Amino acid sequence: MNLRKSLARKLFRDINIHRLDEAFMTDLIPTHKVRDSGLETRRITPSVKINISKFPGLAQKREFAVRIKSVNFMTKTVTTRRFKIKRFTKQDIRVKTLQKFNMKTWSGYKKIIAMPQERSNRLKFIKTRPQVLNNEMILAWYGPIVDGAVIKLALNKQRGTLLVWYNPRSRQFNAKGVYLIRRLGLGSKPEWRWV
Amino acid sequence: MASQNILGYIVIDGTEGQMRGAALASDMRGIPVDFRYTDPVRPTRLERILYGSSLDTYLKEELMLESLLDSIEVNPQIWLCNDADLLEPLKVTGKVKAVMLSESPHVPLEAKGQLETTSEPGVFILQAAEKGAPVMIEFPDGTRQDEIQQAAQILTEAEKTMDILEPFARIQKALASLSSGGN
Repeated sequence: MNLRKSLARKLFRDINIHRLDEAFMTDLIPTHKVRDSGLETRRITPSVKINISKFPGLAQKREFAVRIKSVNFMTKTVTTRRFKIKRFTKQDIRVKTLQKFNMKTWSGYKKIIAMPQERSNRLKFIKTRPQVLNNEMILAWYGPIVDGAVIKLALNKQRGTLLVWYNPRSRQFNAKGVYLIRRLGLGSKPEWRWV
Repeated sequence: MASQNILGYIVIDGTEGQMRGAALASDMRGIPVDFRYTDPVRPTRLERILYGSSLDTYLKEELMLESLLDSIEVNPQIWLCNDADLLEPLKVTGKVKAVMLSESPHVPLEAKGQLETTSEPGVFILQAAEKGAPVMIEFPDGTRQDEIQQAAQILTEAEKTMDILEPFARIQKALASLSSGGN
């Protein structure tokens, strides 16, 4: 007699087991050894599918769980590939409804409208660069940026990116790019140059 | 009816035993028009056993995606995602064009708007930016050629005024901030 049929007959007389998954088989492998008797016992909590028509009232529910709270196997009739189960005791079978996943959505508009957009340095993609003075060096190009809608720009020095805060009420759609240019020499600050 | 000049972004993020998602509708400058996010869902061990391998699919494709698309109050002309699993359900549920967008290691193509096929069916390289790397775009099975061209046009048009990949990172940051209790 195979394991599925044997278990079904012994444990679930009123329940049709349609599937015993791999987790169930794994659960049967003992992890605790009782030294005195040499008996190996293991508690299992398998997941099974049941015939809901046997449980009046459940048929209308979309989701429910069957939980076998605690079962000790001790029978000679059930043999797994690796060891024999000598006895089993049916202790408790519980059928309870599963709570449906609770899914709510929220508006995070205020959160995201306050967040800046981030532009990475695309200088390596610029084929024609503007002419700069001898003591100037182009560090980066950021774009596209709708300059008429910009409230604030900030350079993320760690990541080398430009953070852009826009005015959400702005009607400007004309996009530009901005070069970050460094002037060589003591005390000179980097300069933004729109193009 | 889909709103012209509105792009829709969907991100569903599953890490550390929980899953949460968000949908952003933005104008062609990347400025948000609407933003919705879900509560995090943390399946129990029992639920994981019972649902098995179908759990993630159920959470992502049915529960979260449908909730987000139902709740967002503007109808974008195109939905953009960064997860291949969402592409087909997004097309069906979103009822407009759906595209998966990702970075491409490809060298820039010659002209802005240029669309190049790849060895994979339904996957293209698009040079949306005049100054920038091309992007990889993937379409659901059965997308018609004219729909592919339209999507490429929309993305190229949007890239004139925004970075079309950037909103994904912004949504992730917003979700991370919301998870850590930021308001």
